[in-house]
Amino acid sequence: MSIIKSVMFDEWRYWRRTKVATTVILIGIALALASVIVNSIEVRQASAERTELQRISEQTFFDQPDRHPHRMVHYGHYVFRTPSPLSIIEPGVDAFTGTAMFLEGHQQNTAMFSEQRQSSGLTRFSSLSPAFMLQVLVPLMLILVGYSCVTREREAGTLHVMITQGVKVRDILAGKFFSLAGSGMLMLAPLAIASLWAGAHGESLAITASFVLGYVVYILVWSAIVLWGSTISSRSNASFAILIALWVVLCILVPRIASTTAATLEPSPGKLESDFSVVEELRALGDGHNASDPAYEKLKQDLLNQYGVDDVADLPMNFRGVVLTYSEKKLTDVLNKYAEARMDEELSQAEIARQFGWLSPMVSMRTFSMMIAGTNLENHHRFLREAEELRFDFVQALNHAHEHDLDYHTDINRYVNDDTAKAARVDASHWQVLSSFDFAPESAQFRLSHSLRYVLQLLLWAALMLALIKRASRGVM
Amino acid sequence: MLFADFYREMRFLSKQRYIVLFLSAVFALSAFAVWSGLHETKLQQATIERLLEKDTVDRENVLAGHGDYGSAAYYSFHVTYSEPSSLAFAAMGQRDTFPWKHRIRMLALEGQIYETDAENPELSLFGRFDFAFIVSVLLPIFVILLLHDLRSGEKEAGRYDLLVATAKKQHKLWLSRALVITTGLALAMLVPLLVGAAIMQAPLAKTAAMVLITLAHLLFWVVVTVIAGRMMLARGQNSPRIASALLGVWLLATVIVPVVSDTLINQSITGPNGGEVVLTQREAVNGAWDQPYEVTWDEFLKTHPEWADYTDMASSFDWKWYYGFQQAGDQHAAELSKAYRDTIVRKDVAAGKASLMSPAMLTQRLMLSLASTDISASLAYEQDVRDFHASLRQFYYPLLFKGGEFELEQLADMPLYRQRLSN
Repeated sequence: MSIIKSVMFDEWRYWRRTKVATTVILIGIALALASVIVNSIEVRQASAERTELQRISEQTFFDQPDRHPHRMVHYGHYVFRTPSPLSIIEPGVDAFTGTAMFLEGHQQNTAMFSEQRQSSGLTRFSSLSPAFMLQVLVPLMLILVGYSCVTREREAGTLHVMITQGVKVRDILAGKFFSLAGSGMLMLAPLAIASLWAGAHGESLAITASFVLGYVVYILVWSAIVLWGSTISSRSNASFAILIALWVVLCILVPRIASTTAATLEPSPGKLESDFSVVEELRALGDGHNASDPAYEKLKQDLLNQYGVDDVADLPMNFRGVVLTYSEKKLTDVLNKYAEARMDEELSQAEIARQFGWLSPMVSMRTFSMMIAGTNLENHHRFLREAEELRFDFVQALNHAHEHDLDYHTDINRYVNDDTAKAARVDASHWQVLSSFDFAPESAQFRLSHSLRYVLQLLLWAALMLALIKRASRGVM
Repeated sequence: MLFADFYREMRFLSKQRYIVLFLSAVFALSAFAVWSGLHETKLQQATIERLLEKDTVDRENVLAGHGDYGSAAYYSFHVTYSEPSSLAFAAMGQRDTFPWKHRIRMLALEGQIYETDAENPELSLFGRFDFAFIVSVLLPIFVILLLHDLRSGEKEAGRYDLLVATAKKQHKLWLSRALVITTGLALAMLVPLLVGAAIMQAPLAKTAAMVLITLAHLLFWVVVTVIAGRMMLARGQNSPRIASALLGVWLLATVIVPVVSDTLINQSITGPNGGEVVLTQREAVNGAWDQPYEVTWDEFLKTHPEWADYTDMASSFDWKWYYGFQQAGDQHAAELSKAYRDTIVRKDVAAGKASLMSPAMLTQRLMLSLASTDISASLAYEQDVRDFHASLRQFYYPLLFKGGEFELEQLADMPLYRQRLSN
């Protein structure tokens, strides 16, 4: 144990003496720290802004005057997605998905105003997120710091001396490994602190702990990759070239090839195209605005029979409201069917890309990180589903008011003159049916259980590196 | 004489397995990028074709089913699109986040135009592997890996002094060796691009410009690498040290400068939030129902005085009033909407200036602009949609205001969206 420790301290002393490694590590820490601070501020700003817009949106809905209830169905409502606590570290897909959505009767809209659409367009490759720093840049820093950790000793002949003096190869490698991992942990520190902060802002302990733990494993994997590269090479030049090439492949190439492959293998036609099929199905359902549409004949007959009357005007409720309630339900079923199909499509695209985690620890780390932080595709879908649920609920509540609190005769005569128009209104107290929208990511349990596969990918990488180093250690002499 | 040097070095390097393997890998990457770009272009073209076909059928169905111009306009949608340019395969750019297809109808445009049928966000986050990415982000790393040890590699292999002593003119030796490697790298990247451009029948001038940008970025990094290699070697630095320093420069150009500029731009250039635009528009449109008709007409007639004598209404609902307040609603939000778009333009202009400090960003921006896949191309498409929407209004207003009997034939002259041909 003491040998491992002294190898580790020796390595650190060497870094301090040469200054290059110290500079790299300091730059790494500075970058990580800056990204955490700037990103936290930006996310806090966005969060406050959207919470405020959400409050205003709800208040204006409540403040609407007495109106015809169906007018409120078209007046609609806006919901805004507030970022999850851990998005200060891992913004994930948040910048690429819309943050606001308009909810109204008879249709599902898309999420609007993604940050990327309002940005300078400079950050398509890099981003200031701590996640990018940790996942992509820290491995590069580790390489720059440690590519020569074994080759240097070999070139200077000190490796030979140590081994002939009886120092175990395993201990030397372990010492080098811990020295590397230690520098990685330094660069990880800002992230760990930010996670604590997220924990204080409503994220569960299990989530923050596994989040940080995931990054620790990732850094251990990369420290191992660097150690391995240095162990198998006879000279520093070679280990440097091998490791940089590996970094380019694992951190830059594979992720992009993954997304391109996914888009090529499983092209998604998009919402616009499936909207045509939706419209076709809806046309068969009838137009809810037109209560005399033949599509509602059966509904009408059933009601007339049930209440033993001959005319819809004699029904105890407003037949137009009945039709709207009925058609909204049918229509929503169709819309949801297509929306779910589209989400499945997107998910299977993402699944293809995520399989590349077996080929690159960076991909598995990123998937794991987004899943745990609650900033991945599944959470975007959750936002869409929750917004839809809210939409359906308030529209149907308004239709219910239309059905029971607005007289049929008054309703059909609303366009005769201004007085009839005034009469065909319901009291503004009905607008209170709108429930408040407060978006939160999937539950901790969901996120943890769904990230098991990516944990497995990471652990497999750790095991692979362990095996490779073990093999390489036999050939050290 | 230089040619002989060049030939000798070529023979020498073609026997270096490492170099040959490296260049083959670059070629394979470029071929993959071009192929997937072509595939994506074909997919987008096919999607547009299908959309247009369905759109026509759908609109004919709708129009046949309605008995007045107001509902005809209310229920009929129009597909608009922005066709990928012939060079889009090389630089897909912002086409995954800015929509290139849109369906609109004659209601207030501000309530519709921000709808986004975007691509899978998780794939957008990872980014596409296109030719522009290879040239702007990877090319410097290729150059660094291949050329950082041009001299120092020979020194460390112990051949440096011998080579210098035997070469007639020292600089010629390094020059021709660097030239051979650079040429190989350029060919490995550019051959797939040229094949792709030929398949897409891209205009010669733009293809040539794309090649020139690639060569310029390549040349920049070759010069930087060779000079840094020479200077650092003279100070006794070894190959990995030289490469580390060069990677630092790459990091600065590809990550630090863009990220810092982006943060500064976002902090210094602010405008209305998109949410404000749509909220304003909604209040204006929906408020019309509760206000006297004159309020709507006053606002409407500001821009359409020619209909001043046609505002009488037979009942308390008339389609012309309905579309009148849709127009008025757009007018209320016009200033905010303009400010919102101006903010994007100002950010883009600032990003253009910032990219002068980063060769990688400059390369990328030039390529996107050649391929018409940059932010200004997306904004131009949005303007096309706005113009088309305006022409729809121009078409329907006479039918709505003059109040003639509904005749299906009258709708035959309805404007159709056709993309402004810019490429």
